[in-house]
Amino acid sequence: MKKNDKRSGKKAKTDINVNRKRTIKKNMCVLRELFYLRMHGLMVFRLDFLAPFFVDGSLFVIQLLAFGAVYSHVDVIGGWGRGEMILYIGTFSLLNAVNMTVYFFGVNSIPYKVRSGELDLYLSKPVSPLFRLTFENISPGSVPLILMSLCIVAYGICTLRMPLTLPVVISYGFWVLVMTVLYYELEVVIRSVSLYVVSMARLEQIEEAGLELCMKLPGIAFYGVYKVIFYLILPYGIMATLPVQSMIGEMNLQTAAYGIGVVALFTAVTAALWTQGLKHYNSASS
Amino acid sequence: MNDIVIHTENLVKTYRRYKKAEGLWGSIASLWKRNYEEKTAVNRMDLSVREGEFIGLIGPNGAGKTTLIKMLTGIIAPTDGKIDVLGYYPNDLQNEFKKQYAVVMGQKSQLFFELTVNDTLRLFKEIYEISEQEFQRNKHYFVKLFGVEELMDVQVRTLSLGERMKMELIVALLHNPRILFLDEPTIGLDAVAAKQIRAFLKEINEKNGTTILLTSHYMEDIQVLCQRTVVVNHGVKIYDGSTEELFDRYQKNKRIIASFGKPMRKLLLETKDARLAEDTPYKKVYEVPRESARWLLAELMKYEPGDIVVEEEEIGVIAERIYQEGSEYLG
Repeated sequence: MKKNDKRSGKKAKTDINVNRKRTIKKNMCVLRELFYLRMHGLMVFRLDFLAPFFVDGSLFVIQLLAFGAVYSHVDVIGGWGRGEMILYIGTFSLLNAVNMTVYFFGVNSIPYKVRSGELDLYLSKPVSPLFRLTFENISPGSVPLILMSLCIVAYGICTLRMPLTLPVVISYGFWVLVMTVLYYELEVVIRSVSLYVVSMARLEQIEEAGLELCMKLPGIAFYGVYKVIFYLILPYGIMATLPVQSMIGEMNLQTAAYGIGVVALFTAVTAALWTQGLKHYNSASS
Repeated sequence: MNDIVIHTENLVKTYRRYKKAEGLWGSIASLWKRNYEEKTAVNRMDLSVREGEFIGLIGPNGAGKTTLIKMLTGIIAPTDGKIDVLGYYPNDLQNEFKKQYAVVMGQKSQLFFELTVNDTLRLFKEIYEISEQEFQRNKHYFVKLFGVEELMDVQVRTLSLGERMKMELIVALLHNPRILFLDEPTIGLDAVAAKQIRAFLKEINEKNGTTILLTSHYMEDIQVLCQRTVVVNHGVKIYDGSTEELFDRYQKNKRIIASFGKPMRKLLLETKDARLAEDTPYKKVYEVPRESARWLLAELMKYEPGDIVVEEEEIGVIAERIYQEGSEYLG
């Protein structure tokens, strides 16, 4: 009897693994097709395809000039010197560039799709609606921003004259990846509110203001209530700070555990808010 | 006996909508105290559909047709009652369930406007996990059936409304769904395109055995396609039965058009319960209860008309009568 239970348990586990593998494979195929469709779509209008390369590049340069103007007269912020700040700006830009390239335009369309009832078409297809929404508006025009951000990171490393070892690179890469997930989750959480209430414009403004502030000030510069806000409630403050801390050797076990904890918390919140939101979805009348 | 693929019992969907008093003070007051009213879009709906049936779902605007389809496809959750579609609770949104149906909404497109249909079909092939062989076979079958070979490589935005609807149907049918939900698929189409779409749907239902649930404001769609019709009004089902019987019951009058070679000022005939709808010297149009039509014809023949035509009542008039009188008449 026990042997049979064990066997059926093992079989159930194998089935789950097989299903999981199948879903991953399917999602990869869907992702590939979404990417092709997006490329086809962008290439229909040449200006649409080429303009982002110039527009996003110009915005990026303007942003850098603003940072330059702010930090040219400041030697130390929260204990970080010029080198660390360059690294911080490069890391934040990198996170933002990945966001713009991969998922921003898709996630940003959620409130519109909810209001217009277009979400109906996503809910009735056998693929995760959030997965499809996330990846259907990939922006290749923002890829140069990733390269430019990496250049700033490299410049920060040179300014700091720090030895670059493989473990440091891996650790930095890991934290950038984890914080990319956090950035994504924050965007989804804010836009999921549209599934519960009709208007949510002000929330997007809070997001913009928080991002703008944290792009200029590293998390270590926040104290008191600001630390609670930007480390826990809207954790934009840790997004670029933790990868930089991991690179410059300022990260301890406690900080790492905190970072992972926040991401885990937001993963749970995002999943719950989205799933429950879909139950609340009433669809626009046609 | 075929299997039941859709089953609902006491299905209810209520919406809460915000009501505000007129004017600025109404807006200010609403900041503190909100008044909501509940609107029942679908009220205690019982429905059973067997596999392979072609069912028409009709009702005036706001009757609850689209809400019912949205609940059956899982897009929205019911407020109360039982719902079972292909053995699933639709709002669980399981992929295995979604693979077995397709929904086409006349007012929402699943096509990418800037791209070609061929490009779009590839995405749906992956979404529905269709093998390359099956994909090619189905694509060729439907492309040939709909006669759209020339249109597969042109931008969707350049297609006419009728052509686009054909493409919507191809996309929906690509994975051989067991149930096809159609929400006003012929809306805005001209008579020729609507007729073509009707012919395709008939073939898909008859040859592939696809269960089809169709909502339409065009009674012709329902009369031509559906063996069974469900009439809803104010969220309540007021009729569920044979389409033929429904039209028979509500098709109360006939139109008799008599044309004359010479001007006829006045016809001295006993019109009884017939109504003179149009009166010109050369043409008289009467609306007469079906049972009195024979008698009126005999009367008219006395005046030796050049031509006489007997028509069924306009379908729009019948629809109006079904909705207006339906609740009381059918109980």
